[in-house]
Amino acid sequence: MALLEIKNIRKNFDDKEVLRGVSFNVNKGDVVSILGPSGSGKTTLLRCINFLEKADSGLMEFDGQMYDLKDMSKKEITGIQKQTGFVFQDYNLFQNKNVLDNVTLGLTSARKIPKDQAVRTAMDMLSRVGMEDYAKQYPSQLSGGQQQRVAIARALATDPKIIYFDEPTSALDPQLTGEVLTVMRQLAEGGMTMLVVTHEMSFAREVSNKVIFMDGGVVVEQGVPDEFFSNPKEERTREFLRLETE
Amino acid sequence: MNNVWQVVVDSFPQLLSRGLLMTIPLTLISFAIALVIAVVVALVQFARIPVLRQICRFYIWVIRGTPLLVQLYVIFFGLPSIGVNIDAFPAAVLVFSINEGAYAAETIRGALESVPSGQMEAGRCVGMSYVQIMWHVLLPQTFRTAFPALGNELISMVKDTSLAANITVTEMFFQAQRIAGRTYQTMALYLEVAVIYLIFSTVLSLLQRFGEKKLSVYGKR
Repeated sequence: MALLEIKNIRKNFDDKEVLRGVSFNVNKGDVVSILGPSGSGKTTLLRCINFLEKADSGLMEFDGQMYDLKDMSKKEITGIQKQTGFVFQDYNLFQNKNVLDNVTLGLTSARKIPKDQAVRTAMDMLSRVGMEDYAKQYPSQLSGGQQQRVAIARALATDPKIIYFDEPTSALDPQLTGEVLTVMRQLAEGGMTMLVVTHEMSFAREVSNKVIFMDGGVVVEQGVPDEFFSNPKEERTREFLRLETE
Repeated sequence: MNNVWQVVVDSFPQLLSRGLLMTIPLTLISFAIALVIAVVVALVQFARIPVLRQICRFYIWVIRGTPLLVQLYVIFFGLPSIGVNIDAFPAAVLVFSINEGAYAAETIRGALESVPSGQMEAGRCVGMSYVQIMWHVLLPQTFRTAFPALGNELISMVKDTSLAANITVTEMFFQAQRIAGRTYQTMALYLEVAVIYLIFSTVLSLLQRFGEKKLSVYGKR
């Protein structure tokens, strides 16, 4: 059974149709990569699924519960957000909190977990991403790659059923993307369910077990990575892959 | 000349004590209330709460568009004519806090809107409620940004409290006028009180600089 099933999601910004009926599903333990040129709607898709944007229509089944995306209460939204993690392109660490507090805040404030327990969980997560030595530093004192690893620890700490990644390495210098991809690779090997919008073809090919290719607000093609990369069916996919691997 | 110095020396403790017992408390109490008003007014606008938001815009429009001295007169001399009597000191606190509240509200609203939207989104993504994000993330960053401007407003306010002399609040300037009237040493007295205001402002400026340094621990955005 799918952990996450999206049916026919649509979203307009003013007159522009950004999502024109997108459907897909993610099973527990899946690592799904969403590829596509900029402007294809993949980031908007992710933001709609985690309610940072309101979809105009569409259905979502999450963990066995069915929701109508255009008609959800605040309580339902927060309820799902508490079970998911989100990693942003530009990290969005809480600027006024040190690394440790960035990770504990979601536990102590949103979930009322006692401070000492939250700190133990947070330190655990920080060591998983190799940032335990930076617990008392502030985000502005860290490199982009370090900030992104802390952001991943923050997402992990809330024990999410799925983590969404919105182009997690696009804001990083090439030499810093490696440390973030390594962490994501480890997560995938540990069985974490992940939905990743990315431009990293090697990650999509080697780490994910499913690839979705979007263009112009629709899913053009989806499949297992080997098939997708070596034998794409659609002309649009072939063109995209040619440009990306040039 | 002896006479002038004698007056200055004799009046100094009286002026200073009025400053410490009236000017400073009047400033601090009013500023504290103003900050509460300002945060509420800024939040109402930030959250785009209908009706309340228009009321807040109206409040800011009226207060910023009329002189502080006129506001003091309306409350202290105007209200009694329609049967509402307020003592001088509470009247001054009322006017100063409402007045400063309007200015500080705009300062805080500006700072609040300058916090990147990703901060709110990140809070929602870890499951925090609007109020929790506001309290733990947005407002602390807002105060960090607004702190220098609010510090300036506080310093302005120390000086503005001298207007309260007009509604019989016995603050520092009122005392200076009284002694000047008695001794006829107007130049000496008014320069002397100016120097004391300058000392107060300087101390506040130093505190402001110290506070900014303290707040900069998490660095620039």
